[in-house]
Amino acid sequence: MNLERVPNEEKLTLCRKYYLGGYAFLPFLWLVNVVWFFKEAFMKPVYTEQLQIKKYVKRSALGLLLWVTVLTTWITIFQRFRAEWGEVGDYLSFTIPLGIP
Amino acid sequence: MDLLSSKWLVNLLVCCLFVGELSSHGCRCPRSRVISGRVRARARGGSYWCTSLLLFVCVCVCVYFIFLAGVGCNSVEKKIYVNLNYTVPCVRLLNATHQIGCQSHLSGNVGVLHVLESEENLDWVLHSGLTPPYLVILESSLFTRSIMMKLKNGSSRVAGVAVVTPNANPSQGTSPHTSCPNENTGVYTENYDPTMARCNVTVWNPLGTGLSYEEFDFPIFAMKEDNDTQVIRQCYMDHNRAGNGSTPQYPLCAMQLYSHMSAVTDTATCMRRNNINFSLSPEMVCDPLSDFNVWASTRPLNNTAKGHKEGESVVLAAARLDSRSFFFDIAPGAESGVSGFVALLAAAHALRNATQEAPPPRNILYAFFHGETFDYIGSSRMVYDMEKNNFAVDLDNIHSVLEVGQVGLHAESRLWLHSDPVSRKNSSVNEELILRLQSAASGLNVSVEEPGFSQPLPPSSFQRFLRARPIPGVVIEDHRSAFTNSFYESMYDNAEYLNISYPPDLTPDEQLEYVTDTAKALTEVATVVARTLYIQAGGAESRLGSINADPQMVTRILYGFLVRSNNSWFQQLIPSDLVSHLTDRPTNFYVGVAQQPGKPTLLVQYLLANLTGSTVNVSQDDCWNQRMYSYLWVQGAAPPNSTERVGFCMRSAARLSKALSPAFDLHEYTSKDYSTWTESRWKTIKGRIFLVASHELEMLTLGVGVGVLLTSLMLTYIMSSKADILFSSGREPANATY
Repeated sequence: MNLERVPNEEKLTLCRKYYLGGYAFLPFLWLVNVVWFFKEAFMKPVYTEQLQIKKYVKRSALGLLLWVTVLTTWITIFQRFRAEWGEVGDYLSFTIPLGIP
Repeated sequence: MDLLSSKWLVNLLVCCLFVGELSSHGCRCPRSRVISGRVRARARGGSYWCTSLLLFVCVCVCVYFIFLAGVGCNSVEKKIYVNLNYTVPCVRLLNATHQIGCQSHLSGNVGVLHVLESEENLDWVLHSGLTPPYLVILESSLFTRSIMMKLKNGSSRVAGVAVVTPNANPSQGTSPHTSCPNENTGVYTENYDPTMARCNVTVWNPLGTGLSYEEFDFPIFAMKEDNDTQVIRQCYMDHNRAGNGSTPQYPLCAMQLYSHMSAVTDTATCMRRNNINFSLSPEMVCDPLSDFNVWASTRPLNNTAKGHKEGESVVLAAARLDSRSFFFDIAPGAESGVSGFVALLAAAHALRNATQEAPPPRNILYAFFHGETFDYIGSSRMVYDMEKNNFAVDLDNIHSVLEVGQVGLHAESRLWLHSDPVSRKNSSVNEELILRLQSAASGLNVSVEEPGFSQPLPPSSFQRFLRARPIPGVVIEDHRSAFTNSFYESMYDNAEYLNISYPPDLTPDEQLEYVTDTAKALTEVATVVARTLYIQAGGAESRLGSINADPQMVTRILYGFLVRSNNSWFQQLIPSDLVSHLTDRPTNFYVGVAQQPGKPTLLVQYLLANLTGSTVNVSQDDCWNQRMYSYLWVQGAAPPNSTERVGFCMRSAARLSKALSPAFDLHEYTSKDYSTWTESRWKTIKGRIFLVASHELEMLTLGVGVGVLLTSLMLTYIMSSKADILFSSGREPANATY
């Protein structure tokens, strides 16, 4: 969808929908929000709805950062220590590699 | 250019000419002679149809000529790789605490070939060689513990090991087993008698290196001394040999070995991973070692009424069936296992008439245990079944035990009777048993003696019975203290080691009937065992002289198990659907993981049925197991005039009982009391050799490829962005209507 031809009110509703949707454990919606509306929020000349769009984009970016940190930490810990967790590690895994602990 | 490719080219040219000719001529259909326009169109259509059909036929013919007329494809893969035909890997086995055996990477281990000349040459492999990782080729004389441990420690530079097994046994004895077999699951624990635990008194297997129980993280394969090995040595000589002090140049000869094992860590882990339900791709990674025990009794026992049998007193005659070696599925086990159970089979045959004409008061139960190498799988299972009332008799029914251990090598015709010193203090039944053994051996060519000092029992199935009850018993062996078997549980423990030799120029059938010296010696042992069993069961001494083992029978059984199982006698004893189990090679006694009884188990069952049972006049449909007897239909021999075999029904008391360690039924995978051995599963086991290029050349090729890709991308981008300049023609394009 090309945001050039979308009226500003619709841009605001879209941004809000993606922002609110991200709270349902969907951090990719926040990622899309940030990438898509970045130009609109920070690089276009000012228009009425831009302040709210800026707020949503900033909050989406914050949420995204939080998710990225949490996921990276968990993934690093899991990949590093799964072998040592023995039974718990096996029950947490979907695919257990063959032949290596 | 070789003949094959020129033939292909010629065929292709002929085909093209043929097709071209025919399609250019079109098709002449006689009906298209009509001149009118509509019909001409139809004729033209008809000729198109005709032409396309003919074209199709021609293409089919072409395909036939090119591919099916024996020219074949000349694939690039065949030009690069030479596959190894005979590859025997070492596989991974796991128990409650350890994993043993070998492992390779999922995509095989590639290493530059190096034929090891001596132990000092290891320095090239481990330190000074310039092109690691190396794949070391060892002669069997160099396959020692010190070399293998050094390779194991330097395993970042070692990609694998290939051992060339000779055709003849080495002169030096060597055993890959541990020096104290089954030390944790026997009867001598710290509770029973700490002075005798852990082979403190006698080290049973002094030549044991323990290699079979080490863990290696590179694959180890065994190769025979045949054409493939010559190819490998030639490849090494041509490419890898450093001549006159200069380093060998790329391309070098390399070998790739695949033996990726799925299971890891220990039995508890792999059984847990077998059972995980919600993973995306549930896969079995290991299986417990299991097979079947064979047992029979002289007086039939009601097999459906399990548990204690009132008034039934049984003398248990035990022997061991299985063996192992360092490599997977090679286990000739001649002295370790076969000598013992063949003597017991011959004794059972010798007792057939006596026990039927003058049955002794006690019953005699012959038991052949499988899986004894791996912490007494078979005997621990039978004791467990007896304790849980899941077997035809109970532990209280057992009067005494006589076990036949390794008896094939008895020098100076002496047999040694081992008994447990701890229980000997308490009972006198042991003394009677030994006296009976000595009286049974009188008048024969073999002498039986006790070791003469307080020594624990050697590793034997009897130890598992002692763990449960203090039953009197004796183990007959041919060694006074340490094993005389210098190839215990090794791939060299074969017919040659037992000195089973036949005069040259005998046909297989003549070899089957020829009585070797080993067979004669084993017959003496069998006679002693049979006579002892008869008196121990309460039979009359007067009948002893008539109980004699048959040397013809013994030599045939030895031939069948140690030289070639596909012989005329074995073929008569088994049903027709088992004939494919017989091979032209010695039988393999490794316990394995199959749910069905293995080949040696079935052979022993049918042999025992034949030697202790009798023929009954029953048709094949009625020949099935009953409560008291087992009925087996066998294919028999062909009468002299025809080629059809005449089958018959054999009635006997020979049955199978499951030999799976109780740890797996109880789900106690970390059990210290029972065997917890499992064998890992794997996907492919293969090996191949090829020439490998230097790393720099590979990187250069990759770099050039990437460079070409980037250049072409850039060129395309430049051309597309400047397209209007590059492709503008001076004039307007003509108006084309489509």
